[in-house]
Amino acid sequence: MPRPAPKPKLDAQWLRSRIKLKHLHSEKLLTASHPGAVAQLHAVGIPPGNLRDHATRLLTAGATAGVLLLTPGQPLPASASLPPSSQTLFVSPLDLHQSLAESLKSALPSEVIPLTPSQESQISAILHSHFGLHAGADLEGNRLNRSYGLIGAEQHLPRYPGDTASAHEDFIQAGITPGRGAWGYFAPSLAELTPQLIRTEKYYVAVQTLYLPDWTTRLSYLRDWYKYRKVVMVNPENGKTIIAAIADSGPSAWTGKHFGGSPEVMAYLERQDGSQKGPVILFFVDDPDNQVPLGPLEYNLEKGLPLS
Amino acid sequence: MSKIFYDHLVIREDITAVLDSYDLDPVEREELVGLIDSHLHHHILNIILNHLPKSHHADFISRVIAAPHDTQILEFVRSKVSVDIEEEIKSHAAKIKTDLLSEIHKSRRK
Repeated sequence: MPRPAPKPKLDAQWLRSRIKLKHLHSEKLLTASHPGAVAQLHAVGIPPGNLRDHATRLLTAGATAGVLLLTPGQPLPASASLPPSSQTLFVSPLDLHQSLAESLKSALPSEVIPLTPSQESQISAILHSHFGLHAGADLEGNRLNRSYGLIGAEQHLPRYPGDTASAHEDFIQAGITPGRGAWGYFAPSLAELTPQLIRTEKYYVAVQTLYLPDWTTRLSYLRDWYKYRKVVMVNPENGKTIIAAIADSGPSAWTGKHFGGSPEVMAYLERQDGSQKGPVILFFVDDPDNQVPLGPLEYNLEKGLPLS
Repeated sequence: MSKIFYDHLVIREDITAVLDSYDLDPVEREELVGLIDSHLHHHILNIILNHLPKSHHADFISRVIAAPHDTQILEFVRSKVSVDIEEEIKSHAAKIKTDLLSEIHKSRRK
């Protein structure tokens, strides 16, 4: 009897990393879109991704008894449906950020000046080791005038004609810019404003594209290349890191600042402005498949672990 | 394996069957299936909540907590939304499955 042909092999580790990244992304999307519903599930000890585990537990314990026990204030013991090796070990984001801030101390100059290629490479490596993130000061031959500079607070951007500050989810007091961002409205109308575009405005940054030496000669190409380009921004003093999208041009050189951040970006980085100017690192994120979600970065994208 | 109220619309077996066509360590397989399942839960919940008016979110989640297998949950959702929610779930699940199958294909060792 002939032996069956051997099955082809998979690079399971690579596949696991890819699916884990998608899993983290979908979890973040659900939490960002429906925080109340997710909180309701968490309140009874059920992470949304663990529904089947919960269903199994109910079956095992007896559905009726299980339902009666499942009331807020009597949380189920948290247990994941995923095998232990795929769960995120609990090391707090604070630990991750402190480790990053410590690592950056030796890589950054004592003053906020342009970085050398060697310093930029070192910082890229530090970001990858902490977050599994591929980011650099250069991407596809493009680079800004600064990869390390001072940031100031910006207002909300109008997302569609008629948008107001009060229509934004948070930081209403920050106000809204009187004009559109450098790339126009995010959507032609409120009805066409998608959750992704809402997040793009929420986590936007302004960069000085207007001072790029080839901005006017290559305007058509560069305008498209920079529109909503994903960047990683780090406050080196506390290690807080956020993935943001370029959605405006500025600030003007006379301000002495090099970047601007949305109210949400500035609040997360704890880089509050006023007359203050705080240093940040800003690198392009190499994310051709659009897998890295916008917003605070508090885990390792490749491993799902805060620290490798 | 316990059931979730939308399992018949998602058909995870389309993915597990492909995984099983490869020489995969059982532990690694279990881990991948768990991740895929969890990923699908996130997406399907998101789709339902996107369509369901916010005023019904708490009721919906309470029903899911109480009896995640109960297909009456779909009846409840159907009565509150203006779209064909089953078709929405099927269509979205198909896209996710296509994406996951593509990843599996790309991970094949040359």
